[in-house]
Amino acid sequence: MQNEIHLQSRIRLQDYEPIVGRSCLEELRMLTEKSSGKVVQIINSTFIGGGVAEILEHMVPLLNQLGVDVRWNVINGSDEFFEVTKKFHNALHGKHEKISPRDFALFSEVTERNLEEMSFYGDIVFVHDPQPVGLIAKKKEIGKKWVWRCHIDVSSPDRKVWRFLRGFIVDYDAAVFSAPNFAQQLPIRQFLITPSIDPLSDKNKELDSGTIDTVLAKYGLVSDKPMITQISRFDRLKDPLGVIEAFEMVRKSIDCQLVLAGGTATDDPESEEVLEEVRKRVEENPDIHVLLVPPESDIEINALQRAATIIIQKSLKEGFGLTISEALWKAKPVVASAVGGIPLQVKNKFTGLLCYTVEGAAYALKQLLSNPEYANWLGQNGKEHVKQNFLITGHLKDYLLMFLSLDQTSDVIYL
Amino acid sequence: MVDWLTTSWLWLTRNWLYIAVPLVIFLATYVVGLWVRRIVYRAFNRWMVGKWEGGQLIIHTTRTPFIYWFLILGAFIAIQVSKLNSSAKIFADKILASLFVFSLTWVVVSLSTQILKLYIGKVPRLQPSETLIVNAVRIAIAVVGALILLDVWGAPTTPIILLLAAAILIAALAFRDVLANFFSGFQLAQGEQIKVGDFIKLESGESGYVTDVTWRNTQVRALDGNLILVPNSRLVQSTVINYGRPLKKATRPFRFYTRLYLKELTGLKASNLVELVNMLKEVPDSVIYYHTHHFLEEYHYLTPEPANDFALWVSDELGDEVIGEKLASIDTFDFPTISALRARIEGVIRDYLSKKPDGRTAREGREFHFIKSVSFIMPTPYVAHDLREFIEVLRQVSINSLAYHIFEARLRLKKGVSDFAIWIEECLDDKDLAEKLAYLDPYNYTLEGLRSTMIQVIEKRIK
Repeated sequence: MQNEIHLQSRIRLQDYEPIVGRSCLEELRMLTEKSSGKVVQIINSTFIGGGVAEILEHMVPLLNQLGVDVRWNVINGSDEFFEVTKKFHNALHGKHEKISPRDFALFSEVTERNLEEMSFYGDIVFVHDPQPVGLIAKKKEIGKKWVWRCHIDVSSPDRKVWRFLRGFIVDYDAAVFSAPNFAQQLPIRQFLITPSIDPLSDKNKELDSGTIDTVLAKYGLVSDKPMITQISRFDRLKDPLGVIEAFEMVRKSIDCQLVLAGGTATDDPESEEVLEEVRKRVEENPDIHVLLVPPESDIEINALQRAATIIIQKSLKEGFGLTISEALWKAKPVVASAVGGIPLQVKNKFTGLLCYTVEGAAYALKQLLSNPEYANWLGQNGKEHVKQNFLITGHLKDYLLMFLSLDQTSDVIYL
Repeated sequence: MVDWLTTSWLWLTRNWLYIAVPLVIFLATYVVGLWVRRIVYRAFNRWMVGKWEGGQLIIHTTRTPFIYWFLILGAFIAIQVSKLNSSAKIFADKILASLFVFSLTWVVVSLSTQILKLYIGKVPRLQPSETLIVNAVRIAIAVVGALILLDVWGAPTTPIILLLAAAILIAALAFRDVLANFFSGFQLAQGEQIKVGDFIKLESGESGYVTDVTWRNTQVRALDGNLILVPNSRLVQSTVINYGRPLKKATRPFRFYTRLYLKELTGLKASNLVELVNMLKEVPDSVIYYHTHHFLEEYHYLTPEPANDFALWVSDELGDEVIGEKLASIDTFDFPTISALRARIEGVIRDYLSKKPDGRTAREGREFHFIKSVSFIMPTPYVAHDLREFIEVLRQVSINSLAYHIFEARLRLKKGVSDFAIWIEECLDDKDLAEKLAYLDPYNYTLEGLRSTMIQVIEKRIK
């Protein structure tokens, strides 16, 4: 079938056993036995690029290894269509976007075309994000179970766009959100399933000190003083200028350095502008390093996170913010804004420190730099927290449970 | 024709002694043989009565060949006294020697087979290897017989012996593991270090009762019901803890279950204490259970663990430390049902609101979101028949399994106490131990801490 991808992973399910334990994998296998025989058809808008594709790329082969028949398809769409859905995406995030009736009409046209062209064979049709949401129209014809997975922060969406999408969403059997505050008043079941990181991926696997030193040398960094690092693309919502401000407050009393590392997005013309602003702002401060990291530099990102003394994520708005889980997995103390899905990962004073302002961020950074034992305790807790809640194996378990729950209504289900 | 008969008759009348003497000797030897057999076997039979059951086997197997051997002896003596030339005599001797070696080999093979079967039948651990042992002995005897035969006919046996030695060496190398297991099995049997019925723990962490010890491997019934075959050589070389004989068996085995949960969003949220308490009244039990228990699993590594979600939210988001402390100090262990727990939480908040009705409101995005825990309960392969197995399974099961048997069974499934305490009291009739476990407040421990505390309590008991 066109637009279907067959993935094979170099990572085997049993490779996770030393990390998550034998019992975790045993439970996954038991769950799979209970849900065997069903075909799960995943539909989204792209095989490559973006967080959703990255997660699916790891998850689908693992689900297949478990014995679940999961297949992955993507919809077809023109550039114009994806421009519209990008506007939808921003509007759902709460950003003001001008969306015309023509845009809505285009969305419906492309949806109609995909409805005609696509083959729907899954016992469970698992649709990700707003782009393919309209495919639910097929449910009237073929039945089956339909689930909509929302990866976006819809806690304060543009009402017009949400109303439009809601018309489709209510026909699904269930919706899945990444954080409790993304939940909406909907007549269908809503599940909370958080995204996850893969501990064996290049971005998160263990690195030797040689690799870390090589990356530091490449970017002209030295590890002779504490390093505060924010890994994010250059976007105003990640508040890089706020991070610099907080760092400057800390630097007055503690000798340390700041690393702002990230990329620019080709679909976001503003990112180049932000990068320039940041570079201009720090040009006279030798303790601040602005690094433009090319895409596909997972090992470099990994090395920069592992070299950091503290990881900061001072976003003004965030979806789930998986960079937090990545940092916590490396047992790094984290200072992060209490936005989006971050509070799920950082339980204040237990697995990191939350902040709301520049001053709050500076205070938290100073606390951690001055109390390395406390920082280490938070980092270790953070690692355990990620192990328990945000690893890909837990994500697999949640999806398997969600598939099973579609046929059940009780709160206590005996399998 | 007449001429030939005449010539033969003349030769016989002249040389009749050359034929008659060997013939008489041959027949006499046969008669002596019959007589000797009668005396010897009667004496042997009388002597063996009640002493050794193998005696009858010897009699049955050798009785007929015994006479053959006397016939061969008679023929040998007869040939020696005959007037045959020396080369004919040598040839005849070789034939007789071959017949003797052949019959002797056959008798030894037959006898050793029967005796081996007799003894293997009495030793259960050898029974699976009976065919192997019997065939090995048969082949060894046949090879020795063949070598003697070759020697009789003057064939060079040294190269054959060397060839055989090389083959044995190669076979020994190729089957060194089998041999190592064989000798280790012998060592285990001799030392009586591991016996059927013992509970052992292997270096790899697996444990279970020994169900059989053969010459090749030791069979252990693992806690998940699987049969582990441990090569004897490995068992002898590694560290194995032998806990000895089984403990008192439960009237009903304990099947460990596990419980995984899915978080379902209710879409309900509260911004202040009034909204919180009003919604608390309406939400299903699974919501109360989630917000009072999920920390125990999601933050199970923390000491002390955070209290319930309600306490944390009012402290962190509403900034009201007093009511936060009151909610945090509600001891979940005091409540046998979720309804009772819910009533207590509601009561604490209402009481507080009656004195301080103007509470704060959470910032946008920091509201309290009501989440429901949907539990999926499934049996694991782990079963315990006694306290020893119970402890070992307890070490292995996931924290989800612990949470199910301790928290979920007690409160959500309304059993009042943990499944463990119920089983120990009902199926092992150990009220004292059951009470000790029932009195452990699980909310005061991390799940791992609780696991090791329970193991310590039970271990102390079985010592």
